[in-house]
Amino acid sequence: MPGEDQRVKSDLIYRSVAELAAGIQSGELSPVDLVAASLDRISQLDGDLNAFLEVWDDTARENALEAEKAISSGGYLGPLHGIPIGLKDLIDVAGKKTTGGSKVLANNVAGTDATVVQKLRSAGAILVGKLNLVEFAFGTTGLNSHTGDVKNPWDRTRITAGSSSGSAAAVASGMIPAALGTDTGGSIRMPAALCGIAGLKPTYGRVSRVGVLDLSWSMDHVGPMTRTTADCALMMNVLAGHDPRDTASSTEPVPDFTAGLSGGLKNLSIGVPKDYFFGDLVDPEVASIVLSSVEKMANAGAEIVELAMPWVHKGRSINLGVIMPEATAVHERMLSDRADSYTPAVRSRIQAGFNISAVDYVRAQRAREWFNHQMAESMARVDVLVTPTVPIQTPTIADCTPSPDRAAAGSELAIFTGVFDVTGQPSHSIPCGFTSQGLPVGMMITGHPFDEATVLQVGSAYEKLTDWHQRPPSDIPPPYRL
Amino acid sequence: MEPTTDLQKFVERARENRLTISFEHAVDAVESEKLFTAAYRTIRGIDASGFEPAAIFVPTKSSRLCG
Repeated sequence: MPGEDQRVKSDLIYRSVAELAAGIQSGELSPVDLVAASLDRISQLDGDLNAFLEVWDDTARENALEAEKAISSGGYLGPLHGIPIGLKDLIDVAGKKTTGGSKVLANNVAGTDATVVQKLRSAGAILVGKLNLVEFAFGTTGLNSHTGDVKNPWDRTRITAGSSSGSAAAVASGMIPAALGTDTGGSIRMPAALCGIAGLKPTYGRVSRVGVLDLSWSMDHVGPMTRTTADCALMMNVLAGHDPRDTASSTEPVPDFTAGLSGGLKNLSIGVPKDYFFGDLVDPEVASIVLSSVEKMANAGAEIVELAMPWVHKGRSINLGVIMPEATAVHERMLSDRADSYTPAVRSRIQAGFNISAVDYVRAQRAREWFNHQMAESMARVDVLVTPTVPIQTPTIADCTPSPDRAAAGSELAIFTGVFDVTGQPSHSIPCGFTSQGLPVGMMITGHPFDEATVLQVGSAYEKLTDWHQRPPSDIPPPYRL
Repeated sequence: MEPTTDLQKFVERARENRLTISFEHAVDAVESEKLFTAAYRTIRGIDASGFEPAAIFVPTKSSRLCG
């Protein structure tokens, strides 16, 4: 029978960052208790889910104690102070290993913190560990034959999607309230969708990538993964900003991302591009769930505009056409030295890139410019686009594991998300319903470049109309089996 | 002898790049290559004349001038 102390801890597991922060600021909630609850939940579940590669139990508890002392003596730093956060293992933390989920970098210890880690520390966040991922973030299913596959907390026989697989599973299962992921073809948004959480890919250049392993430098993004849209906004208030050491870093002014969260849907115009995002490639149940969410938003005052985008299906090809040669260039030297240490799946993708001509790479970059022009013209009449995040229902791990007699499933996972890595627009996935099998479906809200605020406003307004984001995963035990 | 299958061609090209490759890796790589071949076929079909990105290289101001 669990004691009173355990009951208190179990209540914390599925609270949002905003709720936890209010408790910490008022003194009702101790960061020490919160971090203990998080570590207990990791200990309870991670042997099975495999979300974490490394957990920093001792330093997390020490930092929580420091946070508690600072807050009690008037040194409250803001909404992330005392909040446990996990990091995808592409992100450097001084003195800790950054492996990229690969045997190739098994002994790679970072000398300094990534910029995003410095920002989280300055905001008082408690770093609890490194999260599992697809090797070097180069894949969509979330599977990794070296570190082990991450299981989906809604059905442990199914994939989480990736590449930020551990980040999504850890947040969804209540191990941590927030994590960082990265997104080059959809690696924040796809796992957010399939694990039933919120994930924001900010505008390209909005969040620094210094100290984060590259996959494709002209498309890599870092962003937050949380349970609610409001929590993504709180994270963005800490993460965003110019970094002169990142050549792609933007000097655009950084707004308060929480300012418009209560703005509602009236006076907002939502574009729905039906021809590709709701066409033959989409599972009918997924399309129907997202369209019924659009209807809910229309009923709440949003103007719905059906858009024709007959060119948009080319986006994923351009996405791949840029990622592929850039990833091969990133890995060329390591592959020459340590080819046998790569997993077969990722090594094959990188090696295929050696056969791409320079002319094709330049063609892809030129096509990208053309594509961005089409997108800007089409979106001139609307504030955001709303589409499904992922076109299919969550496949099983077995279906996505390559075998000699059949090709692996899952290559179509990124056909929608990859479009907005090409354009660099802010793009956010939130839960918008469940399939008849009880698996979460994600809705993707995409805005104009540097207008994360409107994307978050729409996401937050939708979450006020529904309770999808508050449901706990069905295939994992509750905290302490209460 | 000239390689005749996609797989043989891939192994030959890997060797030219000084990379050894097992049969299993080569099968995976050929599958990847099919995906990317289709992507570049789509890209080559786009008339993107006049959309040359200007920002592939942007000179940065010298620190000497920035003070």
